Amino acid sequence: MADTENGTSAVAEPLDLVRLSLDEVVFVKLRGDRELRGRLHAYDSHCNLVLGEVEETIYVVDEDDDDTIRTVKKNSEMLFVRGDSVVIIATTT
Amino acid sequence: MDVPGVFPEPLPPQVFTTGAQLLDLTDKKLVIVLRDGRKLIGTLRSYDQYANLVLQDTIERLYSKNLYADVPRGCYIVRGENVLLLGEIDLDKEDDTPLKQATVDEIYDAQRAENAYKKQREKKKAKKLHSLGFEAENELIL
Amino acid sequence: MLFFSFFKTLVDHEVTIELKNDLSIRGTLKSVDQFLNIKLDEIQVVDEVKYPHLSAVKNVFIRGSVVRYVHLPANAVDTTLLEDATRREAAAQANKAK
Repeated sequence: MADTENGTSAVAEPLDLVRLSLDEVVFVKLRGDRELRGRLHAYDSHCNLVLGEVEETIYVVDEDDDDTIRTVKKNSEMLFVRGDSVVIIATTT
Repeated sequence: MDVPGVFPEPLPPQVFTTGAQLLDLTDKKLVIVLRDGRKLIGTLRSYDQYANLVLQDTIERLYSKNLYADVPRGCYIVRGENVLLLGEIDLDKEDDTPLKQATVDEIYDAQRAENAYKKQREKKKAKKLHSLGFEAENELIL
Repeated sequence: MLFFSFFKTLVDHEVTIELKNDLSIRGTLKSVDQFLNIKLDEIQVVDEVKYPHLSAVKNVFIRGSVVRYVHLPANAVDTTLLEDATRREAAAQANKAK
């Protein structure tokens, strides 16, 4: 527990794992059929995030084309993500 | 509660509270968009820290494609959690809208057809994407 | 409190707020509060044809709970400072929990 006080390395709770991903590229799965990949610059206990150089992938169902699933990609240089949409934060290696 | 020295830029003098933000909008003509997609137009007369609102002379404006219709509603107390956004109406620009006024019944008919189709699409989409491990967002329409 | 402080440093910058109902509004960040409710000035709706009810609106108060994303100008964000602040906040939270 002493290490967490200094904000260094120990992993005592789930968000400590997120702390270790600061300044690393993470994968984030969101509600509403969306995924993000970007560099983690900030988070808080609500899972609010700030990501840099983000690529967003949105999954949409095509209306006419036999209801196939299509993905739409969007990019953002700096993005704040509201925590209540976040489902998974994963490290990428 | 600010951590001193973390964000050293000088801050502008306004007070960063819900009350201060809504104070500027008091007695103004606003459009209020609710979580269920309804649009109200009225004058903000009172509020509290949860953004619960009191609106005077409220009308509900219904939209469908390039048509709109107004329904007079009177005085409203709106619970804050149902508010999506408040917008201050520019009184100079208010009247130059490309939309045409229609009767309430015309809008209702058009909306009914639109909504039925949308609902069906949503259902199909949710089912399809569920198989990929996705979950629908909290219900929000506009 | 981290993001409240963070958004305060972005006052007067141009941002785009994307709501959970897909509506995107671009404007100048004027104010923020502890719930991350946000006020934008000189707004422009990204898909204006689809959302005619905001055509005569000049500034908006957006409830924090309906926000999905806020697109920020990268040059307004000091990422090193932000990461340090995040670590500090995490450490403060861990101390509070004990």
